[in-house]
Amino acid sequence: MLEVSGLTVRFGGLTALDGLQLRAAAGELLGLIGPNGSGKTTFFNALTGFVPVSGGQVRFDGKDITGAAPRRVAACGIARTFQRLRLLSELSVFDNLMLGLHLDLPHGPWVNLFARRRLAAAVRERAAEARELLAVFSPALAGRLAEPLRALPMIDRRRVEICRALVRAPRLLLLDEPSAGMTPDETAALMDDLHAVKARRPGTAVILIEHDMAVIERVSDRCLVLDYGRRLCEGSFAAVSRDPEVRRAYLGEA
Amino acid sequence: MLGVIYALVATGFTLFFGVMDVIKFSHGDVVMLGAFTALATYAAASGAGITHPALLLAFMLAAALGVMALLGALMARVLVLPLRGAPAINVLLITLMAGTAIRESVRLFYPQGSNPKPFPRLLPEGAFEAGGFTLRYDSLILLGLGLAAIAATGLLLERTRLGLAIRAVAQDPETAAVMGIPFRATVLATFALGSALAALAGVVNGLYYSEVNFGVGLLLGAIGFSSAVVGGLGSVWGAVLGAMVFAALQTAGALVVPGGSAYRDVFAFGAVIALMTWRPAGLLAERSAERV
Amino acid sequence: MPVAAWPALAAVAIGAGLAAALLLVHHKAAVLAVLAVGAALLVVAQRTRAGERAAASAAAHPRLVPVAVAACGLGLVMLLREDNFALLMLCTVALQTLAALGLHLQFGYAGVANFAGAAFLGVGAYTAAVLGGHLPSVLVLVTGAGLAALAGLLLALPLLRTRGHYAALITIAFGLLLRTFLEVNDTLGGPQGLKVPGFTLGGLAFNDAIVFDEDTEWSFYVPYAVLALALLGATHVLVRRLERSWIGLALDAVRVDETAAAAFGVNGGAWKIAAFCVGNALCGLAGALLAMVTGFVAPPSFAFGDSLVLVSIVILGGIGNPLGLLPAAFLVVVLPEKLQGLQEYRFLLFAVLVILVLRLRPGGLLPRRLRRWPGLP
Repeated sequence: MLEVSGLTVRFGGLTALDGLQLRAAAGELLGLIGPNGSGKTTFFNALTGFVPVSGGQVRFDGKDITGAAPRRVAACGIARTFQRLRLLSELSVFDNLMLGLHLDLPHGPWVNLFARRRLAAAVRERAAEARELLAVFSPALAGRLAEPLRALPMIDRRRVEICRALVRAPRLLLLDEPSAGMTPDETAALMDDLHAVKARRPGTAVILIEHDMAVIERVSDRCLVLDYGRRLCEGSFAAVSRDPEVRRAYLGEA
Repeated sequence: MLGVIYALVATGFTLFFGVMDVIKFSHGDVVMLGAFTALATYAAASGAGITHPALLLAFMLAAALGVMALLGALMARVLVLPLRGAPAINVLLITLMAGTAIRESVRLFYPQGSNPKPFPRLLPEGAFEAGGFTLRYDSLILLGLGLAAIAATGLLLERTRLGLAIRAVAQDPETAAVMGIPFRATVLATFALGSALAALAGVVNGLYYSEVNFGVGLLLGAIGFSSAVVGGLGSVWGAVLGAMVFAALQTAGALVVPGGSAYRDVFAFGAVIALMTWRPAGLLAERSAERV
Repeated sequence: MPVAAWPALAAVAIGAGLAAALLLVHHKAAVLAVLAVGAALLVVAQRTRAGERAAASAAAHPRLVPVAVAACGLGLVMLLREDNFALLMLCTVALQTLAALGLHLQFGYAGVANFAGAAFLGVGAYTAAVLGGHLPSVLVLVTGAGLAALAGLLLALPLLRTRGHYAALITIAFGLLLRTFLEVNDTLGGPQGLKVPGFTLGGLAFNDAIVFDEDTEWSFYVPYAVLALALLGATHVLVRRLERSWIGLALDAVRVDETAAAAFGVNGGAWKIAAFCVGNALCGLAGALLAMVTGFVAPPSFAFGDSLVLVSIVILGGIGNPLGLLPAAFLVVVLPEKLQGLQEYRFLLFAVLVILVLRLRPGGLLPRRLRRWPGLP
């Protein structure tokens, strides 16, 4: 589904991504790991159009989306979360989820300003769908749809962010360090959440950036290790964690 | 010459922005207040019997720069620092209102504030003729004074510890704090410095035109801001460059546009808008990318 | 348990009563007394949480409140029907609020700073001056709004390519530019300005006083006041509906986090420009009608200071809650007129007030609440 070949990103003199080669197929969860600064988030940013691409190609479902603007990438069915949780904390949980649905919502003046009864019905429908999606992760959370986002604990905020990415049934889901800042209990809950995502949307491809190896080990089908913007190694978690090159990259000389 | 005045104002803007990501819209009015402070000092000093022009000038400068520096630091302490967490628009608004408050206070409370007031002629009269060119002595002195101040600021930023602190805080406040640089003190110092420069600009302006007017702050502020932006906010040399560019645009406007000097400001501001459309980050920009 | 209707009605009635009192009294002491009563009521409302009860009551009876407000508005106009000056003030308040609604859309919803509100008002006003005698009045109003929106469009490209502070500078520069342009341009009346023909609707000229007999003559401002209040009411309703819709959500996303919004397909630039133009259209509309009311336009009325006054209304009223705009506009317009000693000091006073609000109560008189969707409780 996703084919990345020779992707290069340069910032002035610094090469953040150096000819990256990567594939992701429908239904698989690809774990993206590597030491700090190896270019993982830069890859997401390049893919979703937040960072200019200096070379290479990105094909999604056969279409060339190299360097496409974020809006076009979203329209193709690619959704993401952010390393630094980017939610609208002054708004309600429902509002945050509906942002994810933006491309499917009507924005004309007639529908929004005058056909109010129809709008009310549509809102009720979306709210029901949102509750259902949240309940996959936590029934308690589903009941808090109308509350301000800032009232939620960290784990629930992450869940809202993931749901926001899921709400339009994307074909490719990009998760950027969802376990950052979480306690071990919360991380365990997160792992269950990720399993639930796979179960609920079996056709979706997921690329997961993580530092917590336990999470990768439990949920990923395949791993890709990045170092200095290049692919270092690829395979199952077990294989990759035994690779001497990988150990050297993470731990220094053996 | 105009360029130098603008440059003094623009440098202040750029310093404030660099240090706190803040546009202090009250800056232009601080310029005006500096001029008025000097005027008041003049009145007081000559009333006390001091007549020597150099001495008077020294007193005026000391008073203007000192009082404005204090005011700048006070504004930072009371208006800007407390609003660090708030949306950027709030700071913009609060400084804009502070500028208005200053402007109106002068208009209302300074005796006869709403009329333009003559500024004392303290510089040597006469000019220096050379091959068709006439250079007034006072222009030369003012030019020298302005350039010296800008150069001194540049040196301060590059060579002294305070300058280092200012640049460090402008680049990365968190790291600077970790390295032991006192954030608040540096911010206060920066605002004091910028305001002192503004006061100097006010005095220079007054001496050059032999007159001060309470409303001059708005236009000068807008020009100073435009210059700083054109040159790239955060860069002192950019501010100087931008100021020169603006002064040049004004002169060009007076010449190029029919109906001349009335449209000169329209032309200059229009050109600034166009420039900013072409180069949004400024001519000598230090680009800061947002982390996604 | 059904929610009672009276708290909402009481709130509307009290508001209208205070407004009437403020408009009618002449003596300085009386004005201060009215203000004191108003302030005391506010404090009482805070302590007893009456505000929330009124809001809940209003939410439970959505048809009732607009009717009550309309009734009070008409009642106020009737009360003042022979008082020229009071009606003129009422018109001004209503139209300044209309313009402030436009700014509120830009600032409060889309996050676009506009320091040239008065300039766009001026575009509408000058349109009324120039086209007044040649087009039907309703069309003049519409054209005024349209031209103001178009003028804003001129700034679209610079606004899009720059951010935050720079965008503010662009609007300030534009305001200064327009003012200078108006002053220097003799075809538009130059510094003296132009006269503006009054509003006519199908042969009925608003500028003619309404005479019943020798004893009863209504101020010719009556129809203007009714029209201004009607426009304000309709716009207010539309703006509130806009906020409680998918459009409102998109604007919030653009304002709070444009990057995240882009990741989900939101075209930040397009939304900002749209909000900017619609907001300016409202300013233009207000300006056109205001010009007809006063019968006269001149450059000094559309200066930077006046733009700042509009901004003050938006901040004092509460960024994000349009209900506070009318009381804020009332205070800003009426107080300096009533307390003549204040006239000179009003810019200073507003500046200080705004500084205090921003420092102490950034939410304004009426802070913003969570979005209440139609269809959800």
